[in-house]
Amino acid sequence: MTNAPTQAASAEVTAIDSQARGPLLLLVGSGLVWLVISGILALISSIQLHSPAFFADCSWLTAGRASALRETAFIYGWAANAGLATALWILGRLGGSPLRGLNWTVVGTLFWNTGIALGLVGIATGDMTSFSLLQLPRYVQPLLAFAYATVAISGVLAWSGRRTDGAFASQWYAVAALFIFPWLLVAGQAVLLWMPVRGALQAVAAGWYGQGVWSLWLAPLALAGAYYVTPKITSRALAAYESAPLGFWTLIFVGSWTGGRHLVGGPVPVWISTVAVVAYGLLIFHYLVVAINLRGVFGASGDSAGFLRWGLLSYVLVGVLEFITTFRAVAVGTQFTFLNTALEQLGLYGGVTMLLFASLYYMVPRIAGREWAVPALTTGHRFLVVLGVVVLVASLAFAGWTQAADLANASVAYSDIVAHLRPALLVAAAAQLVLLAANLLLLVNFLTTAGASCCAAWCSQSSQSSKLEAHAS
Amino acid sequence: MKNGPLFILGLFAALAISFGGIVLGSHHQLGTLAPYFDDNEAQSYPLRPAGVAARGQLVYADLGCASCHTQQVRRPDAGSDKARGWGDRQSVARDYIHQARPQLGVARFGPDLTNYGKRAGKSADEATAALDAFLYNGSANHPSYKFLYETGKVSGERAARALKAGTGGTKPDEQIVPTERAQTLVAYLLGLGTSYDYPESLPFIAPVAKNATGEPKK
Repeated sequence: MTNAPTQAASAEVTAIDSQARGPLLLLVGSGLVWLVISGILALISSIQLHSPAFFADCSWLTAGRASALRETAFIYGWAANAGLATALWILGRLGGSPLRGLNWTVVGTLFWNTGIALGLVGIATGDMTSFSLLQLPRYVQPLLAFAYATVAISGVLAWSGRRTDGAFASQWYAVAALFIFPWLLVAGQAVLLWMPVRGALQAVAAGWYGQGVWSLWLAPLALAGAYYVTPKITSRALAAYESAPLGFWTLIFVGSWTGGRHLVGGPVPVWISTVAVVAYGLLIFHYLVVAINLRGVFGASGDSAGFLRWGLLSYVLVGVLEFITTFRAVAVGTQFTFLNTALEQLGLYGGVTMLLFASLYYMVPRIAGREWAVPALTTGHRFLVVLGVVVLVASLAFAGWTQAADLANASVAYSDIVAHLRPALLVAAAAQLVLLAANLLLLVNFLTTAGASCCAAWCSQSSQSSKLEAHAS
Repeated sequence: MKNGPLFILGLFAALAISFGGIVLGSHHQLGTLAPYFDDNEAQSYPLRPAGVAARGQLVYADLGCASCHTQQVRRPDAGSDKARGWGDRQSVARDYIHQARPQLGVARFGPDLTNYGKRAGKSADEATAALDAFLYNGSANHPSYKFLYETGKVSGERAARALKAGTGGTKPDEQIVPTERAQTLVAYLLGLGTSYDYPESLPFIAPVAKNATGEPKK
């Protein structure tokens, strides 16, 4: 792993970047704070898996609540904020004019993060909804839908007021994520929380929403950045770019039909999981196109390229592996085990988060107008994140494999199954500790960079105004 | 993709079509599923859960029990669900129609609880006492939920639901009693069980192929 610091040549930093500095740094900063908070929760939650007494007497952090808190802080705190920052920045740059409506972005960001904080307190005090990926209490959800739309305004303005004819792949993905998510959130909470559908159908609706979060929101946010950064750091056009629309529309149209794959053998209509198998078969085209389009990153160097490589690898791998586990014969064994957790972490951490890191390492120096403050922290972060994700996914996959084999064999007592899992879960907890340390490094590096940048801006402003005052007197 | 409005329309259509297909489609199919009336027993199934159990489900949901326990049994030929004694038949949509928020669950770090009440214990009192003690003490594999129980002085007689004297190092004049939340949770868990075999839930038995003389093929 070589460390060639991202060069933000001053000529490349435009007015579009510096003018959006405050709002975008606010988004990135809040995302990173949530990432660290979710890392602490993930550590607690993974320790609880192998020693259940940990924090058991604290009602705020029962095993169920801690895991819901971790998931919520990670997705709605970290991925949402960082993804929004990337999407807005890309839409501004490719739109060709400075972002408008940035005051709305700041207001929206503040409300979004207030909503998340309230929601986490709500989960900890017993208001979780118990729907996977939609654990936030009902009362903060309307606020979140409005806050997200408010943040997205400036992205949509940049898209509709773009100066170029046509649009690039990264713009499609960014606009899709900005536009679809409010609809998805509103539709999801309507049928699950406000006018809940009946009985087991809630599982179907929750599966649809959860898959939508992944394929209509998080994946597009991550891919928007990847499609933007890849040609920049490789200095050449994307390979087979003409197939990119196929990859995009396949994801958007087919992705959310695959939500039923977790319901194989469940008390729901059988066609739900059959449709999921068919849809996932089609979705493989998307992963193929993304892999072909972005394959250039394997020849590039630099911090962003390092994260892009791991992100792309994980993203495509998770597509293939999830496709395999969609089939009934496989799902019967893998369902309800840590193999699903491993795939989820491979997708969320290995795929989405690595791709977002790649975007951040490219974007932050440009909006801050200066290099990353401490290059050593950058290297350390990259090393630890890769180590953490690989160990985490491998240990969870091993745990899942053992668990699947034990569960299938009815002569293995339940307490023995848990005992067999314990060593692997201990390793997973260690991996969470590594990831937490890694993300702390990134947060420190970011705060130093952003702080210096804001300081410099403030100093030059105040010296200018004092000169003006001196001149006037 | 030069046409902006058409692009946005496409995005909207993608979301609307999958919502219509999956959520509204399954709602159309099962949204009006009625209880099953058994003429012989003059009773419709599933039975409505007792009020205290329905409140217990809220406690189950807010503690996040579903993050480790499922409440869905798969077909007898799928996995070891039947062999582990979790249920003789698969769970069907009708089992859940009276539940405000079914807790199907996504992970089996702990055992399935669909029929927990049925397999819990001999008498209701014994089962309650055992479950109270388990929730209070926990085990090597299960967290304790001590905050659902209150320790206090015995005034007069020990409370009927008090845990066994000496639990958790209590003195002879102290007792541990379940809070209301614990009581509803225990009532809910002990009430868990599929009570009736609907026509659609019966295990499928493949017809035995017969030869010309009507004897089963060997």
